[in-house]
This record gives sequence, C-alpha cells and structure tokens, in this order.
Amino acid sequence: MPEPATLIETRNLVKKYGDKLAVNDVSFEVNGGEIFGFLGPNGAGKTTTIKVIVGLLQPTSGTVKVDGHDIQAQPLQAKAASGYVPDTPNLYAKLTGRELLRFVGDLYNVEREQVARRIDELLRILDLTAAGDDTIDSYSHGMQQKASLAAALMHDPKVLVLDEPTVGLDPKSARLIKDILRQMAERGSAVFLSTHILEIAERMCDRIGIINQGRLIAVGSMDELRGLDKTAEAGETSLEDIFLSLTGGVEVAEIAEILK
Amino acid sequence: MSATQLSPVDHTPSGKLLPAVEKLLRLRWQIWVNSFRHSKMLKKVLIILGLVTLLGVAVVMFWLSWLLLRFLRSPQPQEYLGIDPTPFIQTVPVLIFAGLFLGILIASFGVLLQALYLSGDMDFLLSSPVPIRAVFVTKLLQAVLPNFGLVVLFGLPVLFGLGAAGGYNLLYYPLVLVTMVAMTLAAAGLSALLVMLVVRVMPPRRAAEILGFFAATFGLICSQMGNIYNAFGRNADISQEQVSGSLSTLMRFNVPWMPLNWAGRGLIALGEGDWVTGSLLVMLNLGLSALIFGFALVTAERWYYSGWARMQVIARKKKPARAVRQVSAVEGKPVIWARLLPAPIWGIVWKDFLVLRRDLRVLSQLITPLIFGVIYSLMILRTGGEPPGGRGEAPVWFMNTFRSVLSYGSLSMALLVGWMLLSRLAGMGFSAEGKNYWMLKASPVRTTYLLTAKFMVAYFPSLLLGIIFLLGISLFQGFSPSGFLYNLLAVVVSLGGMTGILLGFGVAGANFNWEDPRRMNAGSLGCLGQIISMLYIPFAFAAFIGPLMLSSALNLPQGFAYLAGLVLGAVVSGVCAFLPLWLVRGKVARLDEA
Repeated sequence: MPEPATLIETRNLVKKYGDKLAVNDVSFEVNGGEIFGFLGPNGAGKTTTIKVIVGLLQPTSGTVKVDGHDIQAQPLQAKAASGYVPDTPNLYAKLTGRELLRFVGDLYNVEREQVARRIDELLRILDLTAAGDDTIDSYSHGMQQKASLAAALMHDPKVLVLDEPTVGLDPKSARLIKDILRQMAERGSAVFLSTHILEIAERMCDRIGIINQGRLIAVGSMDELRGLDKTAEAGETSLEDIFLSLTGGVEVAEIAEILK
Repeated sequence: MSATQLSPVDHTPSGKLLPAVEKLLRLRWQIWVNSFRHSKMLKKVLIILGLVTLLGVAVVMFWLSWLLLRFLRSPQPQEYLGIDPTPFIQTVPVLIFAGLFLGILIASFGVLLQALYLSGDMDFLLSSPVPIRAVFVTKLLQAVLPNFGLVVLFGLPVLFGLGAAGGYNLLYYPLVLVTMVAMTLAAAGLSALLVMLVVRVMPPRRAAEILGFFAATFGLICSQMGNIYNAFGRNADISQEQVSGSLSTLMRFNVPWMPLNWAGRGLIALGEGDWVTGSLLVMLNLGLSALIFGFALVTAERWYYSGWARMQVIARKKKPARAVRQVSAVEGKPVIWARLLPAPIWGIVWKDFLVLRRDLRVLSQLITPLIFGVIYSLMILRTGGEPPGGRGEAPVWFMNTFRSVLSYGSLSMALLVGWMLLSRLAGMGFSAEGKNYWMLKASPVRTTYLLTAKFMVAYFPSLLLGIIFLLGISLFQGFSPSGFLYNLLAVVVSLGGMTGILLGFGVAGANFNWEDPRRMNAGSLGCLGQIISMLYIPFAFAAFIGPLMLSSALNLPQGFAYLAGLVLGAVVSGVCAFLPLWLVRGKVARLDEA
C-alpha cells in the first residue's frame, strides 16, 4: 500500500501582529486520508494558523506547503488544492445560494459542464435545495454555514480547512458535516479542522494538534496524547483531561464541576 | 468555599417602567462617556469645540431673531416695503412647531427603524427581564434626541427671540420648551408606529434599503434645486411680488382648526396675555400629544415584540417567483463572453453586477451621476454654445477659447458623468467586497485577473453612461458624424485612463471593514485618487481637443489635428490606465491583512 501523501506541511511557522507573537515556530504535517483536529484555548493562534495555511495571511517566517506547493511561492496552485470554511460565514448576501456556488465554480475554473451538476449535488446533500434560489441574506446562521461548506467543496478540494465548522449547527446538520468530512478523508483528502468541541475532535480526528499561546504543545493520535499526560491512568483519560492538563486549565475544570 | 467557587446571587426584577428606562439610558450614557474617554485627543477637542460652536450658534440665532423681530414689529417695514408683517410674525411659532412635528415624524422614521429593529443589542435587551415598553421608550429617546437637539438649537432661539422682542410674559418661555418636548414625543411615537406597521409587511433591512435609496435621491435633488431651477430656465432672482406671495402662502397655513397650529397660536396668545384662548389651545395641544404618545406606548407593547419575532420569520420566507428569474439570469449568461473571458474574470464581473443591481443602498450611490449629468446637460444646452457674457471685461481670445470648449460640451459632460460613476465603481471596487473579500483571496485567482475583472466592472457601465450623455447632447447640439466619432473615441480611451487611476488608488486605500455600503470608503488614499482623477479630466480633454483648437487657430489640416489628438490622448490615457495598476499589483496579494 502506497504511503499517503503529505497534503499540509508547516515548517517553523511564525506569525507576528506588530510586536505580538500569534504563532510561534509551529511545525506539523497532515496526510491525505486523515482528519486532523486543531485544538487550543481562545486566542491560542488557531485561526491565525488556519489563515496562513489557506493564504489569507502571509507568515512572518517559516513555510507552509499545501499539496506540495509553497503557499508563498506558488499561491495559485496551493489555493486551487484547498477549500476553506471560515468561523464566520461572511458570504455575498445578495447572491442566491446557487449563484454563489456558480461564482465559486468560476473562481476555481471548474469545467462549465460540471458546474450545474455539482451545484445540484451539493445543495441536495446539504439540504439546501429549497433555499438554493433565495438570497443568502435570508439564510439562518446554520444555512449560511452549510452554504459556506458547499462553496468549499465546489471544486472537490484535496485539502479541506475548516475553522469551527459545527458552531451554531443543529445536531442533524452537525452530523451531516461530520459524515461529509469522513467521506472526504476516505477518498484521500486531508481534512484540517479547528474546534472547541473536544468530543468531536476525540471521535472524528485521526490525529490532534494542541496549540497554546502560539506554540504547538502536542501532536499525535489519542493514544499518543494519552502518553503525554503523565498524571493520567492508562487508557482512561479523556481528551478533555489531556487538553486541560496540557493547557493549564485544571482550574477551569473545577468551575465546570461546581456548576454541574 | 474554594477560590474559584461562585457565590449565589439574589435577584428580583422589578418590571417597572421608569427604573428600567433610567437604567437603559444610564447604560447609553456610560457607553457614550467611555467612547469619549477612549477616543483620541484630537477627536475630544473637536467634540468640545463642536459643542461650544453649537452653543455660540444658538446665542447668535437668539440675538439675530430678537433684532429681526424687533425690526419687523417697528413701523419701518410697513413704511418701506408696504407690507404689514404682524400676521407673519404670529405665523412664525405656528410654522416652527408644525415644522418640528413633521420634521421629527419624517426624519425619525429611518433612525427609529435602525434603533428599534436593526441594532445589535436587541437580542440581549429582549432576553433580559426588562419591560418591552422600557426598551421601546429608550430606543425612541435614543433615536429622537439628535433630531430634537437640532430643533432646539435652531427653533428655541427664534421662539425665545420672538418672546423677547414682543415682551411676552415669563410663562411663555418654559411652556415653549414643554410644548417642544411634548410634540417631539408625539411625533416620534407616531413615527415609531409607522415603523412597526412597515415592519409587519416588509423585512426591516429591505425597508432600510428602500428608505436609504429614496432619501439619498431626494437629498441630492434638494441639494441641486438651485441648479434645477436654472436648468429649466427659471430666473433665480426673487422679486418683491414673489416674496409677498410666498409670505401670504405661509400665512394661509395658520388656520385655527388645524391641530398642528394649536401650539404656536396658544403660546402667542399666552405670551400676549390672552389667558383663556392661550391656555385652552396649549392644553389641547399637550393633551393630544400625550394621547398620541400614550397610544404609541400601549400599541408598541403588542406590536413591537410581535414585529421583532415576526422579523425572524420574514427573513426566511421563500420567494419562488423571483428565484426562477434569478436562476435563468445566471444560466443565460452570454456564451460568447463566457468563452472569451477566463472563468474567474467572468465570475467576478457577473457577481459584481448582480450585487450592484440588488442592493438598493448601492444603487442610491450610483444614481448621483445620472442626476448631476441631467442637470448640467440641461444647463449646457440652455447656453446654446454661448459662454455667459459676464461684465464684458474678458479678453476676446478668452471668450473664443471658452466658446470652443463649450462646443465640446458633450465630451466634457460624458467625461464628467463617467468620472462620477467611476469614483464609486473603480475607487471602491475593492472596498466593496467588504468582509466577503476572503472568498476572492482564498481562491486561486491571479492578480491580473482580479484587476481586469474590477476594471471591467467599473469601466463598462461608466462608458455606457458617458456614451448616452455624449449621444444625447450631440443630438441636441447638432450632430456631426465625424465629430461624434472622434468624441466617442476620446470617451472610450479617456475613461480607461480614469479607471486605471481610480482603481489603483482604490487598491491602495482598500477598506473591507464596513457594514453599510453607504459608509464604505477607500480612506484618504481613495480621496487622493478622486482628486487626481478629477485633475486628469482637463488633461485628457486637452490632449484630445487641444490639437483641434490649435489647428483651427493656425489653419493647419484638420485630419492631421484629429490624428495628433488621438495619438496624444491615447498615450496619456494608456499611461494612466496601466501605470497605477502596475504599481499596486504587489499590494493586491496582501490586501485585508492586519
């Protein structure tokens, strides 16, 4: 069986906003067929890392490769390989869902003959067919989130990057998105997602990276992460325990216990 | 207890109106104080200076009103003008109060729509144990206070000046203020009811867009009333007959049966010591105002919340009929264009035209060149190609040059309307993407494609508008095919140069952080682009027309002049079209990065 290709690769990635160090020397790889969860407390540098990967921000130093293409040296090839779902679905409010997808199809140079078929397929799978001809300003948050995912899937990307994809979604839609991500991974794509919902990360992700104060403090499968938590008993530690132990959030767990 | 354990809290929401209103107003005040405290020193100084200036304006207005009304009450006006101004003086308060009521009623509509339904704190307020009536009253006051402040600033000094000039008794002054407050609340209450009615039939955002479109168009037409008056050939000088005619029209408004007039008539009667009539009319006015405000308050309790809740439903309502048309519009895009242009360029052009057409707030900005263009074209046509004579002191060569320039009025007008439209379409072509820019930035679109698409979106509508004006004015001025063709080429080429300048500066000053398209701007660099592109108009004009005027002055062959003009104009425009874009090409890739 051939080795899965590395589809996302960051090397010594650094991003500064003025004097503030948002991402500090982050290196990791995500292979094809893999769902990679990216966790971290608020303000840890998750969204900044994601924005650098998809080419929305230029790194201060270090390199990012998507499908083997350096995002700075070959931005068009790197972007063509990836699809991105942002945390806030800012979409063109005055376009209909169908028009938005057609526009995205044009941006990614999708074969004209395939565009209409692909739009129908995505709208049907994401349960947006009935709303496909309504302008996006009439969509609920969840529908906008699904439209954003449809836009990211329009060109069948090799790399899918999602920032908090399940926030604001009802259980049915959240499940639908999880199924789609799993299918993408099974077809050989790399899925990179950030989330605050540890249960999702624990159940869905093949590997997990934890970032804190801009530094990647742990990367590995659940078993590998359990090995990092020296206070835990073998085989019984949850991702929440590992996360809190690594990010110094044990006192937060105490508060949660009191409020239960 | 652990250091992180939360202590229990007792709370008993009172549900009373006034304490809740007081708390919400205190919150508004706190927000204002905080934003003032945290603003830059220059802004603080400007705010304080502004307040002092406004106070100064009020004092000056009081003094001027007092002087003017004292003069009008004296026998001189009747002697010199042959007009008895007493009935007019008595009409002044009536007009001010009626103006206040109607002004607040109309002006508050948009502000109340925004404050009651579109402000970001509504979810928080409506989910708190605060009476809905308190939320309504606070929003009402918050929305009406700026308009009320303006009315007080300009109306109160005149009314107090009237009192001082007429020697009215002291009760007049506090009652003026009380009546103003009562009528403002009544007008605002009525306006709020109208807002709540509109929201029941139309989503608030759509209502705001439609209102914005009409307000902008109406405002622009009002601002150009003087020019419109001139364009339609009326004499702007005002005769004595027109003055007395206007005064008598205004005085005819002062009829006793109209409730709007009760406040003004009552206050005058009270001021002059007619206690029975004065008290009756003032009490009637205050009672009616209280009734309207009370009705608005009671109705608001039921309508406001149901309107708010309904708003969420309206937002999701399906519009199948419109949808079918939209789909066919997209799928029916001309195949030839789609084949000629790379898909990303076509996609961006098509998307931009759809967004421009559908957002009325944007359309209101685009209508400006049309209104200006029509007015100035009519003014040009009225002159019949002859420059205004003035005092006749201008040298002959100047008048001849002026006459020659006017004969190319169609070209200058086409360039002017094109520039006005380009200022919005090219100058803000990138800023217009707003928070959606991530979609373009994350996609594999070449910078050249992006610039080409934005160039086309700005250039073609402006060119079309320019050609319409060129053709229209040429037809009225006397059509010459060769002259028209030359002017057409000049417009085609010059607008290309203008687009390059404005788009280049638009990239350099792009600002994606806005919510309302009317507040979108391209920053100081965008303004600089507008100035430079405006300066480019006479350059482009001179490049095309200069050789023609020179050839006729020096009796050179005209064919040679046309050729020279075309070459010169094409070089100037070509440089302006490509150089700015070439200079900013590197910046495009880094747009929207902190």
